[in-house]
Amino acid sequence: MTIDRNARRQRPPWLTPALLIMPAFVVVFAIAAYSAVSLFQLSTVDLTFGEPFRNAEPVGLENYRWLLTNEHSTFWATLRVTISYLLGTLIPELLIGFAIALLLNRKMRGNSLFTAVLVIPIVLMPSMVGLIGRLYFSYDGLVNFFFESFTGIRHNWYGKDLALWAVILVDIWEWTPFFILILLAGLQTLPVEPFEAARVDGASRWQSFTLLTLPMMLPLVLTTFILRFMDVLRLFDVIFVMFAGGPGTTTTTLPLYVYRTTLVQRDVGRGSAASIMLIIIIVSLTVILIKLRERIKFEA
Amino acid sequence: MKRNWTSITGSRLLDLLTVCVVFAFLFPYLFMVSSAFKSRLETFAYPPVFLQFTPTLEHFDNIFNNMHILFYMKNSTIIAVCSTLLTILIAIPATYAFARFRFRNKEGIAYGFLFLQMVPGISIVFALFFIARALDLFDTHIFLIVVYLLWNVPYAIWMMRGFVEGIPVELEESAMVDGASRFKAFRVITLPLMAGGVAATAILIFIGVWNEFSLAFFLTSTNARTMPTTIAFFMTHSGIKWGPMFATATIGTLPVVVFALIVRRYFISALTFGAVKG
Repeated sequence: MTIDRNARRQRPPWLTPALLIMPAFVVVFAIAAYSAVSLFQLSTVDLTFGEPFRNAEPVGLENYRWLLTNEHSTFWATLRVTISYLLGTLIPELLIGFAIALLLNRKMRGNSLFTAVLVIPIVLMPSMVGLIGRLYFSYDGLVNFFFESFTGIRHNWYGKDLALWAVILVDIWEWTPFFILILLAGLQTLPVEPFEAARVDGASRWQSFTLLTLPMMLPLVLTTFILRFMDVLRLFDVIFVMFAGGPGTTTTTLPLYVYRTTLVQRDVGRGSAASIMLIIIIVSLTVILIKLRERIKFEA
Repeated sequence: MKRNWTSITGSRLLDLLTVCVVFAFLFPYLFMVSSAFKSRLETFAYPPVFLQFTPTLEHFDNIFNNMHILFYMKNSTIIAVCSTLLTILIAIPATYAFARFRFRNKEGIAYGFLFLQMVPGISIVFALFFIARALDLFDTHIFLIVVYLLWNVPYAIWMMRGFVEGIPVELEESAMVDGASRFKAFRVITLPLMAGGVAATAILIFIGVWNEFSLAFFLTSTNARTMPTTIAFFMTHSGIKWGPMFATATIGTLPVVVFALIVRRYFISALTFGAVKG
């Protein structure tokens, strides 16, 4: 018994957790490192997709320079589409989601059924959602039927002007429930006392909403926003299946750009360079948002 | 008196609005499921056919007997089950270390895992394509199973850490005072208590792999092709085969919807990497 104790004491304290983390660390970082090294290597060569790797010609950082500065590069146009897509999805989803969360945050029968229903769009197969979206947004589709019923006009959602709106609307349908469910859970855990005190002091509903609910919900709103932000920025499947980035480049967000450069233009080098830029953009913007949230948390 | 009456009417109106809003989110799904039972003509009818159609099973017959959907379901199941089990096996010890030990750079390492989780599949899929070719693992189950670990292990660690931290450490300590080793205390006390959380995490990872598209699409061709990537078969030169597509979508999403409803209680923490408790 005493020998056992001594043996245990001699083991350095970091050893046990290190051994426990080791398998996860090795697996995850090995896959990541292997992919990262190959990706970087591919980004510094000139190679046509389909040719064997030995045909690759090293070109240094030329692919990056081309993407960022060449007049034929559509990288900046892609970035503009990506920003429109981000704003077009995230802002309505947040506002509508918050409003519906407030609506559901009342005592009424069937609430648990409603939250169960809202889980469904989130867990559907995205590729199937994309294909369904394609049918619903066709000229004789469901969306036009409702538009015609209310406004008397049918739209060409497959055209250059509206294609981005179509993929945005699909995302809003799929992911507004994400905001609803999380913000509703947050609303239900808010403390009751401040609201009662405010009512006693004669505060109006609007006042208690803007002065109590909003500030208390802010950290959660930011967390939800960051999670969605990461996801929208890397979304590929739905847009790929619906319009594959077209017509033209109207729905080519960064992930679609990576696909089109690598497989449609068959330029592995530039595609890989675009991939690395996509990773850098996602990670750095998310780090900034996380830092921002921490600062707000401390001030609150 | 009058004010009371208006507030009751107001709240009834809000109830009605709630029902309408929730139904609006459900409707596209219901329409999808119902379309799986419609004939080709009814699918393309304008104005759309909502309820007045004669249900047919021809599309289900078609996908099971001509399009071999069961083969792709089998692939999806093998890949999702194996990747999920492997994830949980690797993630449990790491989760326990993050939840119960103090060591240098703990949060830094935890965030390191999280940042790797953020990497978009599409950004490394072509590098993985070359790797798979080089290792002669293209279009195999094992390659997808292993590759998914990159996203699933960090997710599982972040998810389950909250569940372990929610279990009082005193329970383990008292077992260890009674002479149990740390491993035994974990196995007898903590593991049974975190089982619900582990099961929920496993189901959510299963759903993620089952639905995953971009990696499965570019890293398989015929042998290991999964359900979500079968959409390519419906997009033919003579147009899209909508009926079989709706039938496949209905079959493919059914287990996921059922699973999601089972673990609804954990759904909020699942969506937020354990950051928010539902």
